[in-house]
Amino acid sequence: MYTVAEIDVEICSSTKCRLCTQFCPEGNTILYDETRGTAYVAVDRCKGCEICVGICDDLAKHHAIKMVPIDQVKDGFEISKVGFKRSLV
Amino acid sequence: MSLKTIQAAPGFQDYLPKEYQDLLEDGPFFQQRKVSELGSFKEAIEEHPMCAGCAMTLFIRLVYVGLPSLEHTVICGTAGCGRLAISQGAVPFVYGNYGDTNAVATGLKRGLDIRFKDQPKDVVVMAGDGGLADIGFHAVMHSWFRKEKFTTIMLDNEVYGNTGGQDSGMTQKGMVMKMAPTGKKFEKMDMLGLAKTAGVAYTARISPTNPTRVANTVRKAVLIAREVGPTFIQAYTSCNIEYAIPTPKVMDDAREVEKDRYGYLEYFSDEAKTYWEESEKERKRLRKAEK
Ligand SMILES: Cc1ncc(C[n+]2csc(CCOP(=O)(O)OP(=O)(O)O)c2C)c(N)n1
Ligand code: SF4
Ligand code: SF4
Ligand code: SF4
Repeated sequence: MYTVAEIDVEICSSTKCRLCTQFCPEGNTILYDETRGTAYVAVDRCKGCEICVGICDDLAKHHAIKMVPIDQVKDGFEISKVGFKRSLV
Repeated sequence: MSLKTIQAAPGFQDYLPKEYQDLLEDGPFFQQRKVSELGSFKEAIEEHPMCAGCAMTLFIRLVYVGLPSLEHTVICGTAGCGRLAISQGAVPFVYGNYGDTNAVATGLKRGLDIRFKDQPKDVVVMAGDGGLADIGFHAVMHSWFRKEKFTTIMLDNEVYGNTGGQDSGMTQKGMVMKMAPTGKKFEKMDMLGLAKTAGVAYTARISPTNPTRVANTVRKAVLIAREVGPTFIQAYTSCNIEYAIPTPKVMDDAREVEKDRYGYLEYFSDEAKTYWEESEKERKRLRKAEK
């Protein structure tokens, strides 16, 4: 079992942050939904490094990201299935 | 090399892989994307097998944002970890034999300049410290002595990462590696000093602690290489495997190393400085005129 990053939409959308999108080592993995004003993760691309958690906790100080076991992710976004989306709504 | 060459024939687009369609619709071509826009456009770099949390991966990702015209760029790499990601980017990638990158890039750049007289084409070498400071050292130095107009980016993880932990010329003195069990015997090579001696127009030493600065430095290096002469970026991109850095600590390590010894250093030759100041002025003037 491995873990992937999950972003709390309520916390993230109350900020204008976007910091983790700049520090995730992987391309096209933390995406940003302009409509909802939140970052979100392509769970099929996340490698579980937890760099984004440190960025959100220590740099942004928003504590919006936690790691969750992949089998407990509900309705995870998979970019390989649906492709790039500007917004999920 | 241009959007025309990646554009699908009419009626065919729907049958291409999703990733390809996304690049055509929301990709980074023909516009200078900003680091602050990451997440809002389809990046040129695709899925690749580099290790989780690798700082080199982050740096490479940011290079693709900084490149001033992706559609007119060729990247030249070689054996080593970085090529695992670079070969998955939507920018032509030429694989030079290990040690040959700067010789290959020389031929490429000269050929492109002859073929495309009215369209600047950027050649960028991106390879490891072993590939550039050890085995490719002669080709790197001679491309600089000859004032070849392309950018060399060293992904300096201070080890041969891809082959399991041999020390390189860029490893720090005393460092114990899997295949340097009694510690590295010599000082880390001064590549910036060598570049300056060889007449490189612009050099920078950088860590991936500030993504916007990484992209700006890459852009600057490529634009100066286009007009003035060779440019060189030496980037600290830790190997979390060989240096046993837990992935959540990779950015802490980058910040510490930057603070303790790597810093952010820039050097311009007189000609490069004049060119850069003038071109910045011109860009400012154009921005103002647009408003
Ligand atoms: C001519 C030649 N010699 C040796 C190798 C084996 N080789 C592959 S990757 C590598 C080391 C790469 O180290 P570095 O250039 O520092 O890049 P890193 O993997 O650390 O990013 C070596 C020696 C090769 N592929 N070709
Ligand atoms: S760092 Fe945290 S608050 Fe900022 S965009 Fe990412 S998840 Fe949202
Ligand atoms: S855990 Fe790592 S790979 Fe996954 S989203 Fe966060 S930074 Fe990106
Ligand atoms: S071996 Fe080291 S440099 Fe290579 S991908 Fe893994 S962490 Fe990165």
